[in-house]
Amino acid sequence: MDFIKSIAIAATGMRAQAGRMRVISENIANVDSTASAPGGDPYRRRIVTFRSELDRELGAQVVTLGRVATDGSDFRVKHEPDNPMADAKGDVKYPNVNSLVEMTDLRDAQRSYEANLNVITATRRMLQRTLDILKS
Amino acid sequence: MPISDIPILSMLRTRMQWHQERQRVLAENVANADTPNYRARDLAPPKFEQALTSASLALARTDPNHIVGAAGAGSQFAEDGDLHYEVRPRGNAVSHEDEMLKLAGNQMDYDAVTSLYTHSIALIKTAIGKA
Repeated sequence: MDFIKSIAIAATGMRAQAGRMRVISENIANVDSTASAPGGDPYRRRIVTFRSELDRELGAQVVTLGRVATDGSDFRVKHEPDNPMADAKGDVKYPNVNSLVEMTDLRDAQRSYEANLNVITATRRMLQRTLDILKS
Repeated sequence: MPISDIPILSMLRTRMQWHQERQRVLAENVANADTPNYRARDLAPPKFEQALTSASLALARTDPNHIVGAAGAGSQFAEDGDLHYEVRPRGNAVSHEDEMLKLAGNQMDYDAVTSLYTHSIALIKTAIGKA
């Protein structure tokens, strides 16, 4: 049944987007997480990757979450000599998370999630139409 | 004579299969809207001439022992790629707006086909005096 397949494909998309949201919320939650020892490295921003793979059972290109990579960009450094996590020069490293970028990413994930939800709603309506033929 | 052998019904059935298949391709596009290097795909629209001939063309049984072949195994529709307008930096060319538009169109066309199917069956019912 092809309609069931369409719903299953959209569900894989929703699962992938939900996983992306989870990683984004992790980044946002850790936006100010400093190192646990003075002078150490703080939380490093994480990035999800998407992979398209052939699901043999469905015979379709479904989407899955690939490896969660880390962002190698530089940390934000602030001069805070009073901070207990400051190094010898009085600098504190903050995570390389930009909350504006994360918010934009979150919106993008939300939009994609809703698009997949839309596919499911449309497919369900079409399935309902097919069943309505029986009633006539 | 099975009901699916009536030309108009078999044509409508082919059309419904096409919409189902298209729905699957569109669902794939939307699911992969953030996958790097993924290009949106679409089904080639069915040809009218083809539908006309395939609706009236059946396998000939030259021997009574032959089993009647079931038509339409697997997908009979060509996938039509390279329809993207813009490619994003990560190599993805799926536009949500486009896909939603196609999805709505697909759904409306499917509604039209199913209601045509219902009406065709109502016509047959009238013909056999059960209306």
